[in-house]
Amino acid sequence: MSSHTNKMAVERRTQFGKGAARKIRRDGKIPAVMYGHGTEPVHITLPGHDAMLALKHANPVLTLVIDGDEQLALAKDVQRDPIKPIIEHVDLVVIRKGEKVVVDISVHTEGEAAVETNVNVESSTLQVQADATNIPESIVVSVEGLEAGTQILAGDVTLPAGVDLVTDAETLVVNVTQMISQEALDAELAEADADLGDVAGAEAEATAAVEAAEGDGA
Amino acid sequence: MLIPRRVKHRKQHHPGRSGAAKGGTKISFGDYGIQALEPAYVTNRQIESARIAMTRYIKRGGKVWINIYPDRPLTKKPAETRMGSGKGSPEWWIANVKPGRVMFELSGVPEDVAREAMRLAMHKLPMKCRFVRREGGDF
Repeated sequence: MSSHTNKMAVERRTQFGKGAARKIRRDGKIPAVMYGHGTEPVHITLPGHDAMLALKHANPVLTLVIDGDEQLALAKDVQRDPIKPIIEHVDLVVIRKGEKVVVDISVHTEGEAAVETNVNVESSTLQVQADATNIPESIVVSVEGLEAGTQILAGDVTLPAGVDLVTDAETLVVNVTQMISQEALDAELAEADADLGDVAGAEAEATAAVEAAEGDGA
Repeated sequence: MLIPRRVKHRKQHHPGRSGAAKGGTKISFGDYGIQALEPAYVTNRQIESARIAMTRYIKRGGKVWINIYPDRPLTKKPAETRMGSGKGSPEWWIANVKPGRVMFELSGVPEDVAREAMRLAMHKLPMKCRFVRREGGDF
């Protein structure tokens, strides 16, 4: 369960738009908005470093001090720059102690499945309903000794106490499959190598086929 | 090798290379990924080479996803040909990749194996790339 305090003093924003937001980011802070429980949205500025550390965890609950009043909020959406390590904006949802919230929790596997098997995590997150101040960090699924062909559905996953599943119970979470044989792998790689090597053959043939099909598609 | 089965127009203008990726910038399926840091045209041969390099290293474990598709034709005029006389003939199939795009994903292997497999795959790609992994708060 997440036990980070994440208390930070925040400022209200009075200027809006991309110019003001960029100025806030230049000052090392993060523009954010807080809403929920039928309240008017509050535009705030988070301290950059503290917020960045808090948002390294999944579903962080922040204690925000606004004008001397404390307010609990859950990070709902975090916009990150795809290249630079910058948090551009954060959406926060107002929560209250004892309230239940619906969140996505990541799934991790532990243990070693049977030999000659591959463990595929088909659903990397599960949607659950949990106490807002007691959200689990992750859900661990044991694959110890599982044989090929075993499937673990969302309904089979053991959840921590006080956590209810929201995702469809029939959703496939972990699929244990038979490892490809060495001969099949070698044959696939040899075929792929031959395909890459035969420039004039395979590619020209495929391009010709596409050109021939052009008339049908137009 | 990846190639469209049917196209509406055989020859297209060169795709624009400016700007950053608008989507596909996060890891969606696997645990590790290769993210583009520069814009580039990635040919179907480069995609296939990268996939083979990864598959050869991880051997029989793990699973590879390819998140880009070479659906744009590029043309080339024959050598020693005067300008004019129309557009050249299709020569390559490319995916127009913008910075930030996660092109390949991998799961089911330890991180050190994934890093090495993806390092080998990056050498087959025409732009600067980096290794990325799924973070706890990254969804």
